[in-house]
Amino acid sequence: MHTCTKLKSEFIKKWMKGLQICCSSKTNMDFLERKKKIKLCADIALASAKNSTTSWCIALISEAKKHDENKTLVDNLLGPELRIKPQKTNHQMSASHKRARSKKILKKSHHVCQRMKKMGPPKSNIATYITKILVKERTQVLKRLVPGGESMDEISLIKEALDYILSLKVQVDVMRTLANATEVLNQSDSTIFD
Amino acid sequence: MFTTHSRLDAVKPDPGMDTYWAGLDGGAFGDQLGYGYMNPNPDQRLLVQGNSSLVSVSVSPKKRKAADIKGQSLQVVSDKEKKIKGCSEGESRTTNQNSNNKEASTNTSSKEKSKISEVQKPDYIHVRAHRGQATDSHSLAERVRREKISERMKYLQDLVPGCNKITGKAGMLDEIINYVQSLQKQVEFLSMKLATVNPGLDFNVDNVFAKEIFQSSTSDFPALGCSSVNSVYYQLNSMDQVVSYCGLDMGINSAETGLRRSISAPISGPETFMDSSCFNQVQPTTNWDADLQNLYKMEFEQETLIPFQSHQFTGSNEGSNMKPES
Repeated sequence: MHTCTKLKSEFIKKWMKGLQICCSSKTNMDFLERKKKIKLCADIALASAKNSTTSWCIALISEAKKHDENKTLVDNLLGPELRIKPQKTNHQMSASHKRARSKKILKKSHHVCQRMKKMGPPKSNIATYITKILVKERTQVLKRLVPGGESMDEISLIKEALDYILSLKVQVDVMRTLANATEVLNQSDSTIFD
Repeated sequence: MFTTHSRLDAVKPDPGMDTYWAGLDGGAFGDQLGYGYMNPNPDQRLLVQGNSSLVSVSVSPKKRKAADIKGQSLQVVSDKEKKIKGCSEGESRTTNQNSNNKEASTNTSSKEKSKISEVQKPDYIHVRAHRGQATDSHSLAERVRREKISERMKYLQDLVPGCNKITGKAGMLDEIINYVQSLQKQVEFLSMKLATVNPGLDFNVDNVFAKEIFQSSTSDFPALGCSSVNSVYYQLNSMDQVVSYCGLDMGINSAETGLRRSISAPISGPETFMDSSCFNQVQPTTNWDADLQNLYKMEFEQETLIPFQSHQFTGSNEGSNMKPES
């Protein structure tokens, strides 16, 4: 059981702040809008509370910034010191995209060369072949799940997934306690006034 | 023999790195993972030792075009991003390996007549070949990569519940995917729940404060479960403590008013929530024994007051504090 209470309190503070900003802009929101706002604030708060340079954080924030309506929210939440990050992230992302692409080209050419060399049956061992396909498939899925995972190689993908899982756990924990607390408060309020 | 070392001159040293690496062995990876992580250095190069000579494998993307595979010099470029972690892993591995390079010469193919690279560029990872293993630069690099992946898979096993029995890479990936998906769905569901429970997104400060009490309390007692019953219970405990700080008469008054409204209420919940306004001024302590006693006392008082009132008995201490109901 991990006790990252410091991260949790950071996360809550930023989340509440973001929600207050959301509320001040609009007065009446329907259910789905509210849910979206809550989730968005939670995600951004988590990513910024971590205060690290893992690429999933950066990817999440830059993804959120793409929509103009969220821009002010994100900027207010992040604070001045983290506003410099987006420029770096764009450069990082483009660089990593280029790296990934060039890597793919290189791998392909290498594979072609190797295949020319060995004329033997490439599928001599069915089991490993199947495993390879499965692994490839699943890394693709994982890349889609982890934010910003498209442009990562396997090693960094697993590392990012680790980090992401940890922070997701924190997020779920905090949200669950808040939901329970609000529920309890509402129930007790209703019993008082019965 | 060769001394193995990894050159990290060009890389910015991370102050937290020592503790980070120390924590790796201790299995405290999960906590330290997100903090103090080093940035990837794209210009790292993988230096592979084999065949009693240095085979340099440059992984810089800039040098890629300049690579020419001649008969003598082997400058194979693999455009992999080797992180600092890999550096140290390679380092620790090589110091533990038994290297018998004399057999390596028989394993080399004709392509690998490698000469010692004269230019010692920084950030090389030194890897030594095991006896009987191919010293092809490709396979060595592959092996480094594979070992790194398996290392991280091990950490993931600790993190993802129920992964201890699965050994294969594909199965592990499957578990990881399922876990991430389930966590994301939980976030969705919880945000939906919060949207229904709170129409208006006004999470008031008292609620937040109470939540912080709860969280600080859970951090002190990690063994206690997170079920909603417990959460209510401990919230009540902490609120009782706070209420008692606000003054005895205030607490008694609240109990009195609580009684007026709901005589049959067994829990001392209602009156504590009414006094939530005094939270902001008071720092709660996590004195659980006192809290429990407090709670039990108030419950006892409530229970005893009911028969007292019914019998119109005013002799007891508790009864004297309470104004008798007419």
